[in-house]
Amino acid sequence: MNHLDFKTAFEQLTPSLLEALGLVVTLALLSFVLALTIGMLVALGRLSKVRSLQVVLIAFLEIVRGTPLLVQLLYVYYVLPEIISYIVGIWVPGYHMNISAFTASIIGLGVNYGCYLSEVFRSSIQAIDKGQLEAAKALGYTSRKAMWHIVIPQSIRIALPPLGNYFNAMLKDTSLCAFITLGEIILKTQAYASQTFLTIESYTIAALIYLIVSIPLGQAIRIMERRLRRHV
Amino acid sequence: MSKIMVTIQDLHKRFGENEILKGIDLSISQGEKVAIIGPSGSGKSTFLRCINYLEQPTSGTVMIEDKKFAEPNQKANEKHVASLRQEVGMVFQSFNLYPHKTALENVMAALITIRKIPKGQAIKIAETFLQKVGLANRKDHYPSQLSGGQQQRVAIARALAMEPKVMLFDEATSALDPQLVGEVLQVIRELANEGMTMVLVTHEMKFAREVADRIIFMDGGVIVEEGEPDTFFTNPKHPRTKEFLQQVGN
Ligand SMILES: Nc1ncnc2c1ncn2[C@@H]1O[C@H](COP(=O)(O)OP(=O)(O)OP(=O)(O)O)[C@@H](O)[C@H]1O
Ligand SMILES: [Mg+2]
Repeated sequence: MNHLDFKTAFEQLTPSLLEALGLVVTLALLSFVLALTIGMLVALGRLSKVRSLQVVLIAFLEIVRGTPLLVQLLYVYYVLPEIISYIVGIWVPGYHMNISAFTASIIGLGVNYGCYLSEVFRSSIQAIDKGQLEAAKALGYTSRKAMWHIVIPQSIRIALPPLGNYFNAMLKDTSLCAFITLGEIILKTQAYASQTFLTIESYTIAALIYLIVSIPLGQAIRIMERRLRRHV
Repeated sequence: MSKIMVTIQDLHKRFGENEILKGIDLSISQGEKVAIIGPSGSGKSTFLRCINYLEQPTSGTVMIEDKKFAEPNQKANEKHVASLRQEVGMVFQSFNLYPHKTALENVMAALITIRKIPKGQAIKIAETFLQKVGLANRKDHYPSQLSGGQQQRVAIARALAMEPKVMLFDEATSALDPQLVGEVLQVIRELANEGMTMVLVTHEMKFAREVADRIIFMDGGVIVEEGEPDTFFTNPKHPRTKEFLQQVGN
């Protein structure tokens, strides 16, 4: 085995990985906003009393949770545009849909995490004592107002730590987007390693970059958790 | 004759197969204090919760002054119910304060969200009502930083701040340590003396006798007996009333 050349790998690879990190953080933030929106809507839908809506949502959750994130990313990137092109092509001959790897990544991550977040929202809403809703109603709140003004703000406090953990996990799961050609950390590392054969060095640096973000984030979530626990 | 504040006609409530309320009629005049007593499971809470439609009756009507919550046998309109509920304050056994809000915020939340009162003014109103229950100096405390008695007084202030025409108390002191009961009863007593119309479900017979103008004894989902307190307690007519009063050691 050649001896390790961390110095070269560090100098050549790190700048491009830091750039990729910027992309990854942007991707994670956008995907997370989408996931939060989907998660809250699905949670409220499942807590509503509309039976047919519940059936549809449960089916949706089962499908998403029953398939790997990687498969979903591949599906959104390669299959979905084909299907849409085919359908639209019936009316608009020759139509072909293009989707960028970045957009596909946002959709894939957002939908996948949205399903998991919906469970966080649902259980955190259910964890709020029924008396809270009743107290608000007794003061003249409609159910909807009581939900948005009294119940959900309390449930968010319960949900924040798990939400933080999911965000942290999502940051790392962006690495799967390498499979759909997104120029994120892993794809860049792979390219560099195969050119230079600095395999150990390259992947170690990539791992460190994830750790540099992930560890402080995890720490911050724990501190937040402790603070939030004060007035519940 | 004074104005009728609450009118309840032929009220029935069923949970699945169980008929909990089996036809209740009651009128409450302005300023009247009605205490409801009765064995556990007799439907007292259910009845009280029907008065502000937290529980939708299976049939019958509930009116606050001249406004019905819903036409008999029709589905209630949620907006209308919510707006009429503003005229009925309710105090729960378990306080139900918002844990994430300070005492002041608890009292002013509905003023802002429901009454649409500007924040500055809402703060003033909230402070006035906290003062009234003797907690002006606790306004920035969270419920978790208050004793049970203090929490219940904040809950009373929160209900009063909406300036309801009627107050409902469902065993307001049952969850409290014995040494904290007095301070809450004192607040309720003062409210009674100011002429608030109130309905109290209570296990405190002495207090019921002292504060109420009328005692109602419920059992099995009906009003078994009602009367003016002294007569009711010294000379109950119905055998079930006698038995109940004996059991609670009156
Ligand atoms: N939401 C509900 N669903 C089904 N049954 C209910 C519901 N609420 C109350 N009940 C039943 O109705 C009956 C009367 O209950 P309620 O709480 O009104 O009695 P109570 O007189 O207030 O009793 P306590 O003195 O113990 O508070 C009980 O048998 C109870 O189990
Ligand atoms: Mg009860």
